Amino acid sequence: MKPFAYTSPRSTNDASSLATSKDHALPVLKTGGMDLLDRMKEGLETPGLVIDLTRIDDPALDRIESGRIGGRATLAAVSDADVIRESTPMIAQACGSAATPQVRNVASVAGNLLQETRCWYWRMAQFDCVRKGGEGCPAREGEHRFHALFPEGPCLMVHPSNLAPALLLLDGSVDVVGGNRTSIPMADLQPDPAKDWRSTSVLAPGEIVTAVRFDPAPNSGFVALKQKQSFDWPMVSGYAVLDLDGDVIRSARTCAGAVAPRPRLLPAVDAALAGVSITDDEAIRKACEASIEGAAPLPGTAYKKTLLPVAIRRAVMAAANPGGEA
Amino acid sequence: MSGSNPDHRTINAGESLADDATRLDGLAKATGDARYSRDHLRDDMRWVRLIRCPWGKATLESLDRDAALAVPGVTEVVISGDAGDYDGDSIGYIVAENRRALERGLDALDARWARAACKTGILDDERARAPIGAPEGDAADAIDASDFTFEATYSTPVQTHSSLETHGMMIEPDGEGAIVHASTQGTFLVADQIGRFLGKRRSRIVVDCEYIGGGFGSKFQIGKEGAAAGLAAKSSGVPVYSFCDRREEHLDTGNRPSLLCKIKLGHDADGTIRGARIETLGGTGVSSRGGGARIPSGRFDLGAVDGQNHQNVQFNAGGPRAMRAPGCPQGAFVEELMLDEVAHRCGLDPLALRRRLDGSERRGEMYDVAARLIGWSDRPDTGSQDGPMRTGYGIATCDWGKGRAPAKIEVVVHPDGHLEVRTGTQDIGTGQRTAMGAVVAERIGVPLANISVAIGDSRLPSGPASGGSVCTPSTAPAAMAAADLARDRILADVAERDGLDVTTLRIDDGIVKSGDRSIVRWEDACKRLPEPISVMGEFNARPNAYWGDGSSEGVQAARVEVDCETGQVFVREVVAIQSCGLPLVRKPAESQIIGGVIQGASYALFEEQVLDPATGAVLNANFENYKILGAKDCPKIVPVLWRDGQTGVRALGEPPVIPTAAAIANAVFNAIGRPVRDLPLRPDRILAALAEPVPERVAAATTTKTEVRA
Repeated sequence: MKPFAYTSPRSTNDASSLATSKDHALPVLKTGGMDLLDRMKEGLETPGLVIDLTRIDDPALDRIESGRIGGRATLAAVSDADVIRESTPMIAQACGSAATPQVRNVASVAGNLLQETRCWYWRMAQFDCVRKGGEGCPAREGEHRFHALFPEGPCLMVHPSNLAPALLLLDGSVDVVGGNRTSIPMADLQPDPAKDWRSTSVLAPGEIVTAVRFDPAPNSGFVALKQKQSFDWPMVSGYAVLDLDGDVIRSARTCAGAVAPRPRLLPAVDAALAGVSITDDEAIRKACEASIEGAAPLPGTAYKKTLLPVAIRRAVMAAANPGGEA
Repeated sequence: MSGSNPDHRTINAGESLADDATRLDGLAKATGDARYSRDHLRDDMRWVRLIRCPWGKATLESLDRDAALAVPGVTEVVISGDAGDYDGDSIGYIVAENRRALERGLDALDARWARAACKTGILDDERARAPIGAPEGDAADAIDASDFTFEATYSTPVQTHSSLETHGMMIEPDGEGAIVHASTQGTFLVADQIGRFLGKRRSRIVVDCEYIGGGFGSKFQIGKEGAAAGLAAKSSGVPVYSFCDRREEHLDTGNRPSLLCKIKLGHDADGTIRGARIETLGGTGVSSRGGGARIPSGRFDLGAVDGQNHQNVQFNAGGPRAMRAPGCPQGAFVEELMLDEVAHRCGLDPLALRRRLDGSERRGEMYDVAARLIGWSDRPDTGSQDGPMRTGYGIATCDWGKGRAPAKIEVVVHPDGHLEVRTGTQDIGTGQRTAMGAVVAERIGVPLANISVAIGDSRLPSGPASGGSVCTPSTAPAAMAAADLARDRILADVAERDGLDVTTLRIDDGIVKSGDRSIVRWEDACKRLPEPISVMGEFNARPNAYWGDGSSEGVQAARVEVDCETGQVFVREVVAIQSCGLPLVRKPAESQIIGGVIQGASYALFEEQVLDPATGAVLNANFENYKILGAKDCPKIVPVLWRDGQTGVRALGEPPVIPTAAAIANAVFNAIGRPVRDLPLRPDRILAALAEPVPERVAAATTTKTEVRA
C-alpha cells in the first residue's frame, strides 16, 4: 500500500472541501473502509488523502427511520432496526445478507452503494481491461462464472451492492451534499454502463451521500442465492415489492442483482405478475420465467439463467409473507 | 429422523486417557498472548520479499535494479533469474529496512514482463481427453468375464493449504549462531536446512516454533522465502523478517494437486467387482512429482486391478506439497463414489455393498454405529425424490498406516513438586503440548496443573516433524517412558526413606499410597529431593508396550440437503468415527476429527484454485474468491473416538480428512439421483447433473452380458 495522508473532519462540509482540495492527489472518502482497504492494498487506488467520515459530528448520518437511512448507518444497524424490518423487510434482509457480521458492523449504507465491482480481473493489478481504461475484457474468454448474464457495454461486471437494487425498486434516491444538487434518484446514481463503463457513480468530487430515501414497502422481499452462506457475494439475487389485494397481486415490482452491471428491473415479470394470486404457484413460476428475457449467457454464466427465475419467485413469496420463513 | 443422536461428549466419555483436560495453551491462543513466529518483530530488523512473476509463463523484459536500490531504506536487490514459469514464481528478492521501503523498492523495480503461452490445468493436456486405455493382465480377463462394464471419469481440483499463519521466518543472527523463529511443522528439519543459507554450523542454530498457525504438510521445508531470509541475514548480519503475504501463500507454498481419474470396471449383477482398470493423471504444476492419488485404497475388494497407470501432468502453476493425507481424499472421492454408482446400478444399498467388499472387521462395526447415528434407515432410494429440497445420505471410509519416528521426551521433577515436560517437537495445532502434559500427569498420577510443557525449540530433546500422523504416536511412548522413570525415582526414594516395599507404592491424584494407605503427598516427597531430577524417555520407533498396533480406521456418514432449483448443497450433519489406538486427551482428539471434517467439507463444496486460461494468473489467491467453508456452511459434526482396547497411540491427524468429501458426494448422489463426478460440488455442476437422466439400473433386469457406458 502506498503512503497516504489521513484526516477525520468533524463536519460534512469540511469533508467535502477536503475532498476537492488540491493539496492532495486523489482524495478519497472512507466510512467503513472495507472495500477501500482492498483496493488500496492491491494498488488499484492510490489516494493521497483518506478522509475518514466516521468522526463527523452529525447524528443524522447514522439515523435510521422509515423511508430514510443515514449514509453512515452500518449494515448491521439497518438489518437489526425494527423500523426497517417492519416497514421494508427487503432492505433489512439485503443489508443482513452481506458479507459477515464483522464486516456488517463497520460497512456503511453509502459505502455499500458505492463499492466497486468484485470482478476478479478488475481486482488484480496485473490485468488491464476496459473498465480500467484499457482494452477488452479478460473475463469474456476467461473465467466469468460470477459475471453478467445481461452484459451492457463492453465490461462484463455485475453490480456488487445488495442494497442498490432494493433502493431502485422503491423509487429511492440519495441525499447528497457538497455539490450543486441535494438529491440524486437511484436510477441516475450510476451512469449508463453501455456509455460509461468506468464509473461507479455520477457523484462529483466533494459530493457526499448523507442519506438514502425510499418508499417503505411492508410487502417486500429479498433472496440471495450464494454458493457459500458465510461471506460470499450472491450468484444471483432477487427483489420484489408487492401491492396485494388479499391474495391477489394488484401490482408487483421486481429487480435482479448480480446479473448485470447495474441493478436490473424486470418489467416483463411485473406485468406477468399483475392479477396473479400468490397461491397460484404455476402462474407465479411462469411470470418469473420472464426474468430471463434478453439474457445473453456466456458458457460460464449459463447457470444463472436457471437461478434467476428462482430468486425472483422466492423474493415474491418472501414479499407476500413478510416475517415468514423465506 | 436423524439429528437426535446423542451428544459426542456423552459418546466419547471415558474413552480417552484424559477426558476432561483442556488445552494448556487454549487461553493464550484465544487471547492473543501466544507468540507465533510471525509475531517476532524487531525495530532493527530488515524486511525481505521475493520478486515474483505475475503470469503463468513470462520472461522479464526489463527491471530497474538501480532505481530500487536508490529508494531510501532499500539495502539489497538480488536478481537470480529472468523468467517465470507460473504466477508467483520468483526471480530474486529485495531487502529493506522497513516495510514501506520494501514496497516502494518493489514499485521502483518496475518489472516488465512479456507473457508467453501457458498451460493452466490437467485438461490442457491431450492425455486428459484420450479415452481410457485397454485393461491389461488379469484385469482384462476379469472385466471381460463380468456381467456389466462401467466407465467413468472423475476429477478433483487444486486445493491450497490456506494456513492462517503464512509461511516464513524471522532470523536473529547472533555472532557465530542464530535464532530462527520459523513457522514450521519440522523444528529440527528447519535447523538442518537453514544453516546452508546462513553459513553457520548446525550446532549454533536454534529454531524456535512455540506456536504455529497451520501447516497441513506444507511447512516441512524452509521454502524460497526462508532461503531468501537466510541469505539476507548472512549478508547483512542483522535480524531479517521474511513472511509470505496472503497472495503468495496461495501461489507458492504448495497445494493438494488436482486429479483426473478414468475408470473402467467389470461387475456382476450382485455388485461383485471382478476387475478394474484405473488411470490417474495428477496435476503437479511446474513440479514433476507429487501428483499421485491413493486409488485403489486397498480397503475394498475390486477384483483384479490394473492400477499402475499414473502420470503427472505439468502446467504453469505452483507445484504440490504434502497436504493432510496426501493423495487420499481425492482417491477416496473417486473410489467411494464409484462404489455408490455400482451399488445404484445393481439396486443395492451402498452400505450393504461396502460390507461385502470391505474386509475390515473394525470398519464393519463402525458401519453399524455410523448408520445408527446418521439415521441411515431414513435414507431415500437414490433418484426417488422430486421437489426442490432433497435429502441424501452418504458413507465413506478411511484408513491410515503405521508410521513411527524416533522421539525423546525429557521430564524434570522440581523439588516444589512441579514437573517440566520438554520436547523440541512442535505443536502444529494437534494439541501436542497438552497431550504430552496429560500423558505425564496421568502416568505419574499428579494433576495436569502441576505440569508445564516446553515445546517447539531445537534446543530441547529431538522428535519427529508433524507429518504422516506419526508425531503423537511416536512422542507419546517416549513421554510414557519418561513419566515411568520419573515416577519410579520418586517412589524408590519414598520406599527407601519410609522402609516400604516399592512394589506396593503408587501415586493417586498427587498422593503416594501403599495399598489404600496414604504415605506422603507428591509435593512433600519432591521436597526431599536435593536437586531437580531429570529423566529422558526414548522411543526408538520399534514396537513396544506403548505401541499402537495396526492402522487407524474410520467411517464417516454425511446427511445433505440439495436445493435442486439452485444447485446449492447444504451439508447438515457428518458423523465421523475414527479409531486411533488410545485417544490421549478427549477435546483435542475430537478437534482433530472435527477439523478434518471441516476441511473435507470445504474441499467437497468450495475449494479450488482458479487460473485464468489465457494468462495463467491465479484469479483467487485470497480468501474472498478462494472459498473456504464458513460458520454458516458448517454441518453438525459428531466426532466419535473409537477405542479399540489399545494402550498405545496411533495416527489421528490425517485420516479424518480422507472420507468427508467422498461421503458428501455420495450423499449428493443419493439426493439428486445423479453422480457429480467433479469436485467441488458447485451449484452449476449440480444443475448440470440434474439436467441428465437418472443412471439406469442394469442388474435387476438380466444377467446377460451388456455393455453400458456411463
